[in-house]
Amino acid sequence: MNIIFLILSHWLIVLTLSPLFLGIISKVKAFFAGKKGPSFFQPYFDLQRLFQKNSVYSRTTTWIFCAAPIINLAAVLVLSALVPLGTFKAPVKFSGDILLAAYILGFARFFMISAALDTGSSFEGMGASREAFFSCLSELALFMNFITLSFVSHSISLSAMIGANFPLSWTLMGPVLLLVVGSFFIVILTENARIPIDDPDTHLELTMIHEVMILDHSGVDLGYMLYAAAIKFFVFASIMVPIIVPVQSGNTAWDMLIFLGGMLVLSVTVGIIESTMARLRLNRVNNLLLIAFALAFFGFVVKMWRM
Amino acid sequence: MKRFWRHFKSRNQERQELYKEGRFFNMLESFQWPWHVPFGEFALKLDSLSLIFLTAVTILVLCAGVYAVGYMRQYRTTKSMGLHIFFYFLLSTALVLIVLANNVILFLGAWEMMSISTYFLIVFNDEKSSVRRAGFLYLIMSHCGTFLLILMFFLMAHNAGSMNFEIISHSSFPVAFAGSILLLAIIGFGIKAGFVPVHIWLPHAHPAAPTHISAILSGVAIKMGIYGICRVLWIIGVLPDWCGYLILIIGVVCGLMGVLYALGQHELKKLLAYHSIENIGIISLGLGVGLLGQSHHMPFLSVLGFGGALLHVLNHAIFKGLLFMGAGCVIQRTHTSDMDLMGGLARTMPLVSILFLVGALAICGLPLFNGFISEFIIYFGLFQGLFHLPLQGAFTCAVGIISLALMGALALACFTKVYGTVFLGEPRHLQEPPSTGKISLLMIIPMLVLGGLCLWIGLFPQIMANAAFQGGAYLSHTDLASLPMGTIFYPLSLVISGVFLFFALVLALVGIRRKLLQGHAQPVRETWGCGFFQMTPKIQYTSSSFALLIVDFVKGILFFRREGGDVKGKFPAKTSMSSSVHDASEEFLFKPLFARLTSFSKKLDMNRIRYTQIYLMYIFLYLIFLLVWKLK
Repeated sequence: MNIIFLILSHWLIVLTLSPLFLGIISKVKAFFAGKKGPSFFQPYFDLQRLFQKNSVYSRTTTWIFCAAPIINLAAVLVLSALVPLGTFKAPVKFSGDILLAAYILGFARFFMISAALDTGSSFEGMGASREAFFSCLSELALFMNFITLSFVSHSISLSAMIGANFPLSWTLMGPVLLLVVGSFFIVILTENARIPIDDPDTHLELTMIHEVMILDHSGVDLGYMLYAAAIKFFVFASIMVPIIVPVQSGNTAWDMLIFLGGMLVLSVTVGIIESTMARLRLNRVNNLLLIAFALAFFGFVVKMWRM
Repeated sequence: MKRFWRHFKSRNQERQELYKEGRFFNMLESFQWPWHVPFGEFALKLDSLSLIFLTAVTILVLCAGVYAVGYMRQYRTTKSMGLHIFFYFLLSTALVLIVLANNVILFLGAWEMMSISTYFLIVFNDEKSSVRRAGFLYLIMSHCGTFLLILMFFLMAHNAGSMNFEIISHSSFPVAFAGSILLLAIIGFGIKAGFVPVHIWLPHAHPAAPTHISAILSGVAIKMGIYGICRVLWIIGVLPDWCGYLILIIGVVCGLMGVLYALGQHELKKLLAYHSIENIGIISLGLGVGLLGQSHHMPFLSVLGFGGALLHVLNHAIFKGLLFMGAGCVIQRTHTSDMDLMGGLARTMPLVSILFLVGALAICGLPLFNGFISEFIIYFGLFQGLFHLPLQGAFTCAVGIISLALMGALALACFTKVYGTVFLGEPRHLQEPPSTGKISLLMIIPMLVLGGLCLWIGLFPQIMANAAFQGGAYLSHTDLASLPMGTIFYPLSLVISGVFLFFALVLALVGIRRKLLQGHAQPVRETWGCGFFQMTPKIQYTSSSFALLIVDFVKGILFFRREGGDVKGKFPAKTSMSSSVHDASEEFLFKPLFARLTSFSKKLDMNRIRYTQIYLMYIFLYLIFLLVWKLK
């Protein structure tokens, strides 16, 4: 009973906080464009609007098309239960939970790609094809990060790899962690379809990946998709923040504040990158992802060297 | 026969008692019958290793048999079935005999029985020249393998002075000798298992055979190669250190090459055939981990590796059988196996599409289904190796983890491609298929059984995982009771509860969605085409264009060929383009080799004497020589 309560409270935090950070990113982007920009809470209003609307379906689609948003949202929620949020420990943690995390995301990806192909549109097919390709490379980088982190912490549990239980801090493992942080940041940008890999704002140009895949979703389905995207960003960021700031003051309030501050800084950084950089040409993206892999791999080599 | 039956009955009672005591998997069951073959004895033995393979064989042979009754209806008027059915039963017997044989002669006899009966099953549609060629290639390759196997087994038997596996396993082998035996086994059994680069028969034979035969070939026949390697590992026991690294690297190469070749295919059954090579790679990855554990005296690691590999053997048999049967239904309905002409089948054959989806999710190793469980165990073993092995071992394990992850991602790309182009979207073929072949219930039932098994092992893996670990412990000559098996069973149970959590969430979200959509109209329109309407379904992404990005990225490894498709002039005329991925080991290794062999044998042919009488004289002289020799 206790564990169910813990999981539910964890989800409550995730569900309430996650859209805020997307609001922060768009505010930063508006600031750089010299505009006032929408309110911080605009993503909440968007979600509310979408949940009240009805959905339009294409004649071509099957049940896969409706299942994809549901499975996507469920998968990121399961993922969020494996990740500690500041002082809130992850409700589900065990040796090998990174595999569940990676493969449950794979499950969602299978349905996302299938749903895109389900519409029979060549736009969405294009996005699906790109997603399938780039996700291979980002999975490579993600797993290399996992390997390096688990090699450092001698554990295959997300909770032990990051945050509170991290046995070594930056003084000992500085170079390794620096490489991992660099690599993981690229993975975050890829998995969340941000610039310079993908553009989250437009879908009409033929260069986009994630946005073009959900072109035909509308109403509640689109709402689920957007919510899942917000949670995914939140969860990935909360994996990254404890690696950068492994501070443990012991005071719960301070620790939570440090965590939220880290999340804020990370979202602002993403916003700044989106405002100052252009999207990479499509055939350059794989180079960037291979760089992410190489960074994590060198982290692993450095750790081996020091053994 | 009576004696046999009595024997069986008493054994059965024993087994039930043992089962009650919970020692069933530890039990060694053996059976002997007099057999008048020099050096041979009809010795059978059921141990925890053969139990896994026997389970896979039994499940798949039964399911494919039922499926065949429905599938072969289309040939009923045109072909005689007797020969096919005879060889089907011969093959089933041979498969069971192989996993149970406890004697070299019996094993090799059963092995030949399998090879030859499989040949006759593959060439069922022998009016097509491509089928005859595929069958011939298979026959030649498998006999090359058998040649090495005879050599290997006789070397072992000579060293031990016996033909009985049990007795051979008690004798000790010099380390270098053991290594060379394993090399022979890897090549000899590897031809059957489909190790890269000796896999070339596999992508030809699978599409050529009738579907239920492809399912058996891919599900269990190639696993006999893995079984052989396991049996040799068990017999030898102590192996040099490099063997573990070798098998692990073979696994990595097979897995990655298999899935990359699969991505390049647009023929459904050929794609599935290449995926078998990938899964053989995953299995050998597990075996490699097990061997590494064995050579570094870490019994827990070796049980994890071997156990994961054995469980994957069973799992692959189940979901690959399911996928081939699904492909058979699709091909029967559309009368083509080219995926680029299909599309939208989920609406005309919904049940088959769901069952195929189950197989596809399972083969990608995604949670909820059985592929995830065995991959989880192998991953777990690799991570244990990463933490506890010395530097080079840890590095190899890291390479293993990365390649397993990449295989998973590429398999996902490959099966979204298959599922998306075959079952989703609009039919790419503009005119209606000539006649809609009816899918009989007999074809659906075995698929339902296999799909149910995928789900059962995926959600309640304890029984099968335990059996696989018993097999792994038996293979590494350790006792399971002395190992901290809770270290793996505890995470396994938590992973399953995570999966159930996911399932509950999906249900809850479906409920919320229904609630939110209540009272709203749900209009059905065209797919949004950015303002365009009435687009031809040919504009959809095909399987080739879907995979193009990945294939293009690795074209340094694959042999990618593209013809036509250039746009010429201001008003380009109608043009056509074709692209295909060819097998590099076939094009660069075996074709030149076979060409060289052919020219060499042609040269020999020039020196042949063309009179039959002279050959008869040779035979006569030889007989006289034998008589004289015997007289002396």
